[in-house]
Amino acid sequence: MRLTIDRDRCEGYGLCAETAPELMHLDDDGELVLDHEDVPARSSTAAETAVRVCPVAALRAD
Amino acid sequence: MARERVVVVGASLAGVTVVDELRRRGFGGELTLVGDEPHSAYNRPALSKGFLSGADTLESIALPALSCEVDQRVGVAATGIDGDRREIVLADGDRLPFDHLVITTGARARTMADLGAADPGVRESTFRDVSDARTLRDRLVDRPRVVIVGAGILGMELASTCAAAGSAVTVVDRQRPLRAQLGRSLSDLVADAAIARGVTLAHHPAGVRLRGSGTPAVELADGRRFEGDLVISAVGCRPNLEWLGGTGLIADGDVRIDDRCRVAPGILAAGDVAAFRGDHGHRRTPWWTSALDQAHTAAATLLGGDDAAPLVPSPYFWTQQFGITLRVCGALPVRGRPTVVAGSPAEGLLLTWPDGRGGATAAAVNRRIPISRLRALTRATPSDTPMEVRR
Repeated sequence: MRLTIDRDRCEGYGLCAETAPELMHLDDDGELVLDHEDVPARSSTAAETAVRVCPVAALRAD
Repeated sequence: MARERVVVVGASLAGVTVVDELRRRGFGGELTLVGDEPHSAYNRPALSKGFLSGADTLESIALPALSCEVDQRVGVAATGIDGDRREIVLADGDRLPFDHLVITTGARARTMADLGAADPGVRESTFRDVSDARTLRDRLVDRPRVVIVGAGILGMELASTCAAAGSAVTVVDRQRPLRAQLGRSLSDLVADAAIARGVTLAHHPAGVRLRGSGTPAVELADGRRFEGDLVISAVGCRPNLEWLGGTGLIADGDVRIDDRCRVAPGILAAGDVAAFRGDHGHRRTPWWTSALDQAHTAAATLLGGDDAAPLVPSPYFWTQQFGITLRVCGALPVRGRPTVVAGSPAEGLLLTWPDGRGGATAAAVNRRIPISRLRALTRATPSDTPMEVRR
């Protein structure tokens, strides 16, 4: 599974990072940073949940 | 002991999150999710923004399908509960036995007719689901004159999108835009930005009515009338709880939850449908993060009962309209003047309003900030000198 951010949509609300802190975080400027674009198998449900909680549908898991 | 059976009714964000959270926490019983929407779940906040402006498609705002083990009953509504047999009754006649039920049937648009404020014969438009959004998107191409009834969050976001699409927009309400939701200082910021972009704002405390037949005229109590090619009511939402009639689960028109999301023994609720007790009695809190908070608590309660952590709302609100991106952690509306923690109108502002109890409400206006840092500001009370904030 691979995570991607749509930068045009991402507003840095940060709900994804609160849901899956092992996969992503917000930097000091409030920009989302993916720490694992290729999601380890053990974190795949966390990745899906992070995608779901984004209120602007800026995160995708494929 | 037989495997426990949990039935979640309503494939809303809250419903899907309860299912996901239960499995992530290791629930090993039977799990069923009932949803009556014909579409797969999608991201509703995106409808009034990217979807309406044409930037998004339904596919691009679809929520990821649940990959955990759950029996999904799609496209069928629950019509009632057989309390004696502990069964959910479905519209197709099927029955689902349960040990625990979670009510997550959400809410739908409230209308002016619901409020007794529309003439008979008025054809009322609302904005709640993807078909409403498609209809409005198609109409906006011709730059219709738009009148929006209701100057709350949704009404003002719609006004922003319609104005950006080139329509002449009027917003009518009984009170000033967003005043009740945000408080004076923040609502003034937004209202000034709306006026600067050519939107007409009108209000009268004695109220608004929809007059005529077909597409209505909007009439304020002082006689002012507003006509548009398109009139949209954005006057809040009402909970989907008709299917619970006769169950005794509804109190004063609400499904009331305690601080562990319980309604009655073995029955829980979460999301837009649920009313939680706050400082002003039981209120529904139909916001994205509230649905998530309650869904997490409901799942924890199903697994841990009284040992589960109680629901402590951590309000996080945002809106984007008229060039303003606003994020707020803490209680709203805010009262009085804010403290400027950082920034300036040009580079974006960080503001706080102390609540007098050692906490604060913190807002970021056109300023990106990690949510953890915004939330941290709600726990500390800066001592800067208050100052008037204007754009």
